[in-house]
Amino acid sequence: MLVTGGTGTLGRELVARFAGADDVSVVVLTRAGAQGRPAAMPPAVRALAGDVRRGSTLGLSETDRATLHESVTDIVHCAADTTFNRPLADARATNVTGTEAVLAFARDCRRLQRVACFSTVYVAGRTTGCFTEQDVGGADGFVNSYEQSKAEMEAVVRVAMRELPIAIYRLSTIIGDARSGEVTGFNAIHHALRLLYQGLAPMVPGRETGLVDLIPVDFAADASHYLLEREFAAGATYHLCAGVTKSATLGALLDATMAAFERYRPAWRKRSIARPAIVELETYELFVRSVEEAGNQVLLQATRAVQAFAYQLAYPKVFDARRAEGVLAPAGVAVPDVLDYYDRIVRWCIETNWGAQA
Amino acid sequence: MTRVGIDALTYYLPASAPTLAELERRGMLRGPASTLAGFGFERARVAESESHVDMAMHAVRTLLDETNTAADEIDLVLYAGALTSSSTMECAPAPTGSVLLMRDLMDFFKYPASQLQSELDLVNASVAGIDQQGCATIFSSVRLARATLLAEPDVRTVLCVSADRLPHGSPREVVYNLVSDGACAMLVRRDAARNRIVATHQVTKGAFWDSGSLENEIIAAYFPTARTVIEETLRKAGVTLNDIRWVIPHNVSLRSWEILLGLIGCPREKLFSANIGRVGHTIAADNFINLRDATDAGLLHAGDLLLLFTFGYGLNWSCMVLEH
Repeated sequence: MLVTGGTGTLGRELVARFAGADDVSVVVLTRAGAQGRPAAMPPAVRALAGDVRRGSTLGLSETDRATLHESVTDIVHCAADTTFNRPLADARATNVTGTEAVLAFARDCRRLQRVACFSTVYVAGRTTGCFTEQDVGGADGFVNSYEQSKAEMEAVVRVAMRELPIAIYRLSTIIGDARSGEVTGFNAIHHALRLLYQGLAPMVPGRETGLVDLIPVDFAADASHYLLEREFAAGATYHLCAGVTKSATLGALLDATMAAFERYRPAWRKRSIARPAIVELETYELFVRSVEEAGNQVLLQATRAVQAFAYQLAYPKVFDARRAEGVLAPAGVAVPDVLDYYDRIVRWCIETNWGAQA
Repeated sequence: MTRVGIDALTYYLPASAPTLAELERRGMLRGPASTLAGFGFERARVAESESHVDMAMHAVRTLLDETNTAADEIDLVLYAGALTSSSTMECAPAPTGSVLLMRDLMDFFKYPASQLQSELDLVNASVAGIDQQGCATIFSSVRLARATLLAEPDVRTVLCVSADRLPHGSPREVVYNLVSDGACAMLVRRDAARNRIVATHQVTKGAFWDSGSLENEIIAAYFPTARTVIEETLRKAGVTLNDIRWVIPHNVSLRSWEILLGLIGCPREKLFSANIGRVGHTIAADNFINLRDATDAGLLHAGDLLLLFTFGYGLNWSCMVLEH
């Protein structure tokens, strides 16, 4: 099995699960090769130097390439640039061109049986309402370059599905480990949490009752591991998300955040930081424009950080995951309610100073 | 029901009114004039020769004259000072840089309210100073005037007065707002003919007392708490925003008002914004200058519900609903 992005948030969890099987030999493509091998990576896993941005060779040595072309049965493509506000060309370089390179590599794998491509439910872009596993996103445009590049990636993958056994796994936003609260991959949500903690987030666009879809990394890994190993279906697209029943409203999440700050840092309460106001997008944009015109660098960075994910909140939607749930539920793999573990995530962020003291 | 209201009010503004360009030339802005212009400001009012006590005296004299109120009708003076210097006397013709020139220990025992009472012959009035709430200070005076009138039958007329002036030559820009000097004075009475005080509400967040070092946090704190305070005031008044005919603002930037109106879901047309550009932010007197001008402009009708909101360092958010 060849895994790209095997050192990332989801990748490392998946690698740990696959490496536990006797009949699977896992090779992880890393930009740093064996030198960049994470300490936590299982000993049986081999790390090879390579990069999806280096074309169909994946930057592998000729020998490694030839060996892999002969032996690989499974490709798990997790590598992605998940920064929301990267210039579009840069996002495409990894997410679109990088995927094209992986697929080109896959075509030369003589024993290939399965290719798993990881995407995001936010390929839905600015679409509102219900977004299903059958839907193709982007009809109403996108909120950021990440979404757009992933939608373009899916288009490439769907064409390749005609000749390769590929399934697409669209993930919701991963916020950490539901059991421990540990966050291994900080994203815009965590940055926004920190700004809120610092009292630099006066408002977020959205609606009080709008749902925010978040998932823990352990569920994402368990679900995709099961779907890939036990129920692989070429041509299928799955949503791994919280959906309507396990998501929380934006209002409830803000309340839970404030409550967690007060619970785990009682002194924080003395700072009298108000719960951010939930506002229409138009009002939020006026605030952002004012901060820009004022040239206030601190608030400018803060608003941009919130902007990166919060604009999606202005386009309320729910993700339908019937296909994934239909397969996962009988196996007992279910996404937890976000409010059942969210507190642990916030606690971990506070107690490690957002990972600095982890 | 006892109706306590603002029966009459007036204000004083210095004649000097330099434009943004002039202030920029004089080095009295922190950033470019164009930024403040974009936020709705045009000119500031600057007291070149008047002290804050002079301005207070002028406003009260005008008020008593306009309303034919005899000096001995005033039972209580609530003198509001937003700046810490406003609660002290100007001890000498102010040199550049400061109105707080204390030369003698006894200078610390000289009070503007007493001087005002004496100069204007308010012989029946007791006096009290209200301060330490920044631009929200005068709101507290009105609130306490109402409470006193409801609690003490022998108090019939309360004079609320507020006057603030920045030190000579000091910058006129504070957190993207253009600051003016000015004063206001009002008579608060039982059974007032207009401006019945329907509800007041104030929130103080002392955690932000060190204003200079927390500018960004203060900007961030302003909006969500402003919304909460406005909503709570409306709740106390038993009305909704739909019932409010006019929002009478403090003259912080028009832009910040547009954002706040968006937050509370209030149409821009309800904001009396004419004075933001031409008067600037007179520290504490804004809402009452605007109330007077809106009245004089014939915009207000009997029974109109008015929402007055202000914000002061300290930090303090204050709001009241009046029935005109």
